[in-house]
Parts: sequence; C-alpha cells; structure tokens
Amino acid sequence: MEQVIVNSLILGMNYALIALGLTLIFAIMNVLNFAHGQMYVLGGFITYYALQVLHLPFVVGLVASVVVLVLVGLLSERLLFRRAIRVSTREESTMLLAAGLALLLESLILLFFGEKQRGMPPIISGVYQVFGVYIPAGRAFVFAIALASLIGFVTFMQFTRPGRALRAIAQDKEVTALQGVNINRYGALGFGLGAGLTGLAGSLLATIFAVNSGLGTAVSIKAFIMVMLGGAGVVSGAIAGAFVLGFLESFGYAYMPGSVTYMLIFAGMIIFLVFRPQGIMGKPWG
Amino acid sequence: MKLLVNTFRLFLVGFVLLAFGVTTSQAANKVLKIGHIGVMSGPAASWGLINKYAALAGAEIINEDGGFEIGGEKYDIEIVSLDTKQDPRVAIAGAERLVYQEGIKYIIGPNVDDTTRAVLPVFEKAGAFNICYGWHRELFTSPSKNTALGMIAGYQSAPVIYKYLKEQRGVKSLACVPRNDASGLNSRDSCVAAADQLGIKITSSDSTYEPNTSDFFPIMGRIIGQNPDLIVLSGVAPADAPLLIRAARELGYKGLMSTETAMDANIITEIAGEMANGYISVGGASAPELRTDEMKRFIERYSKVAGEWNDEAGTKVYALEMLLQTLRVAGAAAIDDIEIFKAAMPKVNAEDPFIKGGKARLKWVGQGYFDQLRQVSTPMVITEFKDTDFVTLFIGYVE
Amino acid sequence: MSSVAKGTRRGVGAPNRAVSIRIVLGVFLIVYLIVLPSYFAESRYILRVITTASVLSFISLGVWLTFTIGRINIGQGAFALIGGYATAILSTKFGVSFWVCLPLSGLIAGLTGIIFGLGILRLKGVYFAMITLSLTEAVRLGFLSGGDFTGGAPGISNIPLPDELGLFGITLIPDFGKVDTHIAFYYLAAVLLILGLAVIWRISSSRLGWIFKSLQQDEELSRSVGINVARYRVMAYAICCFYGGIGGAFFTVSQQSIYPSVFGVLDSLFFILYCFLGGLAFVAGPIVGAFLLFILFELLHEFQQYQQLIYSLLMISIMLWLPNGLLSLRLPAAFWRSRNIRD
Repeated sequence: MEQVIVNSLILGMNYALIALGLTLIFAIMNVLNFAHGQMYVLGGFITYYALQVLHLPFVVGLVASVVVLVLVGLLSERLLFRRAIRVSTREESTMLLAAGLALLLESLILLFFGEKQRGMPPIISGVYQVFGVYIPAGRAFVFAIALASLIGFVTFMQFTRPGRALRAIAQDKEVTALQGVNINRYGALGFGLGAGLTGLAGSLLATIFAVNSGLGTAVSIKAFIMVMLGGAGVVSGAIAGAFVLGFLESFGYAYMPGSVTYMLIFAGMIIFLVFRPQGIMGKPWG
Repeated sequence: MKLLVNTFRLFLVGFVLLAFGVTTSQAANKVLKIGHIGVMSGPAASWGLINKYAALAGAEIINEDGGFEIGGEKYDIEIVSLDTKQDPRVAIAGAERLVYQEGIKYIIGPNVDDTTRAVLPVFEKAGAFNICYGWHRELFTSPSKNTALGMIAGYQSAPVIYKYLKEQRGVKSLACVPRNDASGLNSRDSCVAAADQLGIKITSSDSTYEPNTSDFFPIMGRIIGQNPDLIVLSGVAPADAPLLIRAARELGYKGLMSTETAMDANIITEIAGEMANGYISVGGASAPELRTDEMKRFIERYSKVAGEWNDEAGTKVYALEMLLQTLRVAGAAAIDDIEIFKAAMPKVNAEDPFIKGGKARLKWVGQGYFDQLRQVSTPMVITEFKDTDFVTLFIGYVE
Repeated sequence: MSSVAKGTRRGVGAPNRAVSIRIVLGVFLIVYLIVLPSYFAESRYILRVITTASVLSFISLGVWLTFTIGRINIGQGAFALIGGYATAILSTKFGVSFWVCLPLSGLIAGLTGIIFGLGILRLKGVYFAMITLSLTEAVRLGFLSGGDFTGGAPGISNIPLPDELGLFGITLIPDFGKVDTHIAFYYLAAVLLILGLAVIWRISSSRLGWIFKSLQQDEELSRSVGINVARYRVMAYAICCFYGGIGGAFFTVSQQSIYPSVFGVLDSLFFILYCFLGGLAFVAGPIVGAFLLFILFELLHEFQQYQQLIYSLLMISIMLWLPNGLLSLRLPAAFWRSRNIRD
C-alpha cells in the first residue's frame, strides 16, 4: 500500500511534467497540440543521442533537448500556426494542422533515429529503501528536477512580467491586446516555452521510461486526459489532473486486472466531464 | 462537382501510370519478386522494419553473388515492401497490390495476429503463400493452407523453457505479465497451460498492460507482491522488456525472468544493463558463438541496410532463405504456382547455413502442432542475458 | 457543392444551372458506376482501393453532419467499431443474414449514439473533441475485455460473406461468394455512398439542415426562437453514429474479421481530416478528402520509407494554403458566369 502511494506520487509528478507544455500552448494559442507527444519523443531522442552516441554528460543532453524543442516550437508557431489561425475560418483547423505536424515529426524521428526503442541507464543508480518502500535513485532524481522545474515555472508565471502577460493572454486575448501587449510575440513565447517544457519532460523521462518513434500518440492522449480532467488551459488544473491520473493508474493496476483500469479511467472521465465540463479547476470554456 | 470529376480523372491517370509504368529492368538475370508486408510506421514500426531489412539484406547478398538458381536459371531477387500502418484496410489494399498488381506469389509478413487475419482471405483467394509472424494456431491449421509460421511460437518454447527452469533452477511458481493484444494474451494462455502441465504454481496471469505503457512500476508492484520464482513476460515487445526488467529489479525482485520471443541485446544493455543478467529469451542464429561465416556476412549486410544490427533478425533471416530453397526444390514452375511449391515442401531438407554445428536443418516443420508442415525450422536457441550479450543455454528444435 | 445546394434552393430561377448540374452529376455517376468498375474489372487492387475510399467517405459523411452542428467529433471510430461488432456477433453467433445485420448495425450504433449523445452533447469545442476521443478509446478497451462475447483481443474471424437476398424467389442481390466479390463489394460501397450522400444532401438543404446550421452559429439564439436544441443536436449525432455503424458493418464483412483495434483514435481523427481537406462548407467535402488522402497514401508506396513524410507534408500544405478545403478552389469560370448573368 505504501509502495502504491509512492508510485502514484512519482507517476503523478512525471505526468505533471508532460501535461504542462500542452496546457500552456492551449491556454495561450487556443491550439490543442496533437504533436505534443511527438515533441516529447523528440526531446527524449535528443538526450539519448547526446548520452549514448556522443557520450556527453546528462546536463548537456537535457539542455540540448530543451533548446531544440524551443526552436521547434518557435518555428512551428511562426511557419504553421500563426498563418493557420489567420487564414482559417474555423478554429478547429489548428488542431488538425497539429495532427499533420505530429505525423511529420513522427516520420522524421523514424528516419533520423530509427525504429528501435532507445533508453539509457538511470542517471543515478541504486535503490533507496524507506520504511519498506523501494524508491529507485534515478526516479527520485527525476522527481526532484521535475519538482524544481514545476516550481520554477509557476514562479515565472506568477511573478515575472512575461509570465503575467502570458496569463493575461490566456484569460482574455482581446483585452490584453488592447493593453498594448504584443500578442504575436507572446504567442511565440508561449509556444516556444510550451514546446521547451515538453522537451524537458521527454529528456528527463527518457532516462527512466525510454523512448521510441511511435510513442507520441499515446503520450498525447494521456496528456489530453490530464489536461481535460484538471481543466483546460489552467496550469494548476494540469498539475491536479496529472496527479489524479497518476493515482488512478497506480491504484488501478495494483488492485484490478490490467485492461479494465484504462477502460474505467476513460469511462470515468467521460462521466466526470459530462457533469463538470470545466474539469477540476478550469473555468467553463466554449 | 466539376472538381470531383477532375480529381477523378487525375486519379485515373495516376492509376494507369502505375499499372503500366514501373519495372522494366535490363538485368541479365530474370527477376524474382518477393513481397513483404508489415507495419513500418507508428508504435510497432520495428516489427515490420526488421523483416524488411532482413529480406533486403538477404536479397542483396544473393544478387551480389550473381543471383539465385532455380531450374538452371539465375534469378535476381527484388523485395517489394509495403506498410500496413497496423490498419486492416491498408493491409488488405497492400496485400492485393502485391498479389494482383505486382503479380507476387510469395510474401513475407505480416507481423501480428491482427493484420495477418485480415489479409489471409486475400492470399487464400489469390493463391499466394506467406510466411507470417502471428502465432495463433488457427492461422496454420487446415483449412488455412497458404500460411506458414516464420518463427518459434510461444506455445512451443514455453514448455521447453519451464521444464529446464524447473529442473535446473528449482522454479516452483511463476507469474505471467501479458501485453494486452492478441499475441500477448495467446502467449499467456500457452504459458498457463505449460505451467499447469509441469505442476508449476501460477501466482498471477491477469495483470495485462496496454501496449504503449511507459511506466511499469504499478503493474510490476502487484506481481512482485505475490513473490513468484519466475516472471514470464508474455508476448512482450522488445521495447517493453528492458523496462519491465528494470521496474522489477528496482522494486526489489530477486527471482528469474523469461520470455518466449526474440530480444535485442543492444536495447536491453542500454536500458536495463546488468539488471537484465539472467534474463532468458529465445533467439535465432544470433548468439555470437553460433554464427557461421554466412551469418556473419548477413549481420554485416543487415547493419549496413538498417544502420545497426538487431538480434531479433536472427530468427527473421530464415524466411527468405526458406522460400527460395523450396522454390529451388520445386522448380521454376512453382514461381507462378504455389500448389507445386506446397507439394515440394516436405522434400526440402538442407543444411542450415546460419548456425554452426551442422545439426540444424532447413526444412518445413510443424506437423505436430498444425497437422501440416507450416512452420520454418528456425532453431529454438534458448539464451540467457549476461552483461552485454546472450549466452546460449541450449538449442531445441520443433518437429 | 454548396453552391449546388443553393441552386436547388433558388430552384425556380435557375433552370439552366439545374440542367448543367444534372449533366455533371450524370457523368459522375456513369464514371463511378460503369466506367471505373468495367475499366478496372481485372485490377482488383484498384477496385479495392476505390471501394475502401468510398466507405471511408460514407463514414465521414456522418462526421460532416456533426460539424454542421458545430461539434468536432473524434468519436466516429467507436461507432464504426460498435456497428462492426454488431454485424460480427449477429452473423456468427445468431446466424443473422448480412442484409438484416447491415441496417441493424446502423440502428444499434445510432441508438448508442443517442444514449451517449444525451450526456456528452452538452459539451462544446475542445471539450467535446476530447470526450469523443476518450469514447473511442473506452469503446475499444470495452470490446477488448468483452470475453467470449466479443472474442477479446483476437476478435471474431470467419465472418460469412453476404448471402443471397431475394424476394418472392427473385434474386435481388446474389450471394457474394458466388460472384466476383470485388465487383460485388464495389457496388455495395457505391450504393451506400450514393444513398448516404443523397440523404445528407437532402438534410442539409432542408429545414433540418438550417436548424443544424443555426445550432453551429449560436445555440442560445436558436433556443430563444423556439428550437428544441437538445433534440436536434442528438438527432444529428445519432445520424452520424448510424453512418459510422453501417460503415463498420461493411468493413467487417468485407475483411471477414474484426478485432478491437480495427478502428482507433487515429481513424477517428482521419475521418475529421477528410472532412476538413474536402472543405467543411461542402456536402461532398468528406468524399473528396477521403478519396484524396486514401488514394494518395497508396500512390506514395513508390517512395517507401519517405511515404509517410511526403504524406504529412502534403497534408500540412493543404491545411495551410487551402484552409477551407479543396472544394473552396474556385469552380471553373463558366460555372460562375452563368450564375452571375442570372443574378
């Protein structure tokens, strides 16, 4: 039982890291980023490449993943989404554009990094044993970094000028624009930041989960669940949703036959959203 | 509406070009086309790509040596490879493209039970023969006659492995962790049956996991709570295995682990490292001490085609070889008629060129399992992972 | 196509246009029903590709209808799966003829759609999209853990081909096993698509279609003028699910097997893409989109490992440069000129 709770916490923290980037892009740009999972995978592969092929230290891999993903985010905002938002008569088209981007990234990853599952040994090896609970050092390490980035991100959003501007855009784009905030520039910032966070998640989690070129869609779907559960476009909601999913998954797998767990999670989520469309913390949308 | 008509015209032109345009090679040898169909994109991409690379590497070696001789004439081998996207509709379209458009009679793939089932009626109807990697018995028993199993099935290796572990390592209880798809569940059932027969206690068999699970802590936590002597990863994807092993070890599991399928040593080394020591799996001709020169050449070529060697291909090397050997025995007429091919199947019996020792034979087997010879005689090389490679425990053969 | 619909609404004032539309339609039907199948009679692969594209278009027509009420529906795969399993179970376990299974599968999917729809149609926008996406996964996992009834992961195979359908001893439709199955399925798909298109066309140009469109614009406003919003949106959704169920039944019987991953999230997403690429403003949008994308994928086989790359690049380009669909390309000048003169 203690082990299950600890597992849930660790899993929830990992998931929170995955969900942040998605919810940020959604809040700022109103784009449901179907390419989220593929960006995560790309982040993981870059770290893998730096560590296992080039034999660089982990920090370099981590930074490289974040930097490359920020660039990917900025580029796709500038070249794809900005135009799509401008020319399309329907907002859904950005969602499908993202789906196209997902296919594109997936095939590029397959071409460059190959079809094999890739991973690396834990950054710190060894297993701690606290009150009969096993906590692998590698996971504790990832947990700590994830927690630090989470705190850093929330601080950035709460207390800095760009952070406040981003939150203002998330609340009301038109009004913020009237206040003289450059929406385009902050849109790009939001997209870059969101993608960068996704890259960070991919990089960190690749050290404990490994990555393969086809993982993206599954990651996206999980991220969607968390964001919807918590409330779309709300940072605290995404974190809440992540921990809820972490607990549901850990307890489900621990006490029920395998395939039933996710079916119940999906069914539960449908029922929950029917009665509370704004999720745990979100504001009503649409 | 006009646009519709225009679009259609465009498609028509495209089709016609496709139908008449391609393939006019001026090689001295005749060309023998072998089809490959499998999933080569998305989450399961590695399964289809391994088969494709293995077939391409095999064909390149043959063509380099001047072609393959059938009935006194040399043939260059051309591999026509199509992606199924793991989608039955795309798979069926692809299968029909191979058999009707390209006129191919011999096909390698698909890789999983699902898509194999979808394309079987196509091959059956068109009179084409395929070597597939789905496991289900139904695929190879009468009335299905045009499909052969390209590797060792879980229900064949499971009893052998458990017997060995029971006798040599004192295993008294085991838990199955099946992947929740057709192959995984099927292999779980055979695991349970084999354990029952040997009197090994089963502590758990319903802890399935979804394909694409990344965190195996929750699922392994439950399994280890029951403290089995052996954890069997049923129908495990090569990608999942090292993660499962790592999760189990990190949760303090000290016992044995095994699977019935072929694994990739590089991936295991990368992800699980020494935590995977003692992991038992079934390989083909890939274990280093068994490789013949022919196999070494194949590995070299495969690495060139695919970018990197993959031990799983040690079981996949046999498909093309078996098709060609049988065609040689059956004669040139069989190239267009699989009935002649099938009639020749019992007569095939050559030395296995990929494995040392001279004991292994290339022939069609499976009589005992399917009541007909519908399986490639891939050697059942039971291996144990040690540090960075597989060490052979013993070699078995399916009859 | 929407200009076509507008034309019929204006009806009386545009006899010439109506005639030219009939001619185009006639040519299209002749090509589709006679020229293509006879030209490609020997080439089963191409017949199969057109057949598959036809039924994928048919399923997407339903999704298109949910677009007209302003919902992004990523749940059509679930209903195709429900329809498919309905046919599989009814025909293998109860020996029901395919010709009964087919409409029944549509009805079962439609009824399920009503039950789900009553709850989930209250949501809008991305929320509806996500909840339908979850629905696709939930239904797939449901069939996966259905035990003996659904056959679990391997699903159900050896599903019989459609048998003979006769009335008073006269054969209306021959046993599919005794004729060229490719041609038989081609015509079944063609008839489904033509009927399906006709129904959707009729709906979208009738009062019902206008009500649906008003829901897309503003549900509150519609409610204030006395439209029973809940009823109409469930109606649209049920019709959509009916289409999904019929399509699923078709694929089940044409591939003679079904298993849980036959329709998944990606398929649901592709149905939406088809609608988008063709153009949401046009009834024929999903058909153009489905044919283009499915056939494009087949044509790109020549490029082997770059197939998916090229495919995704083309998809993105269309989304960027033709954001309102292929059919938003200007129709030929003559077509417009005749209309302008009349106006």
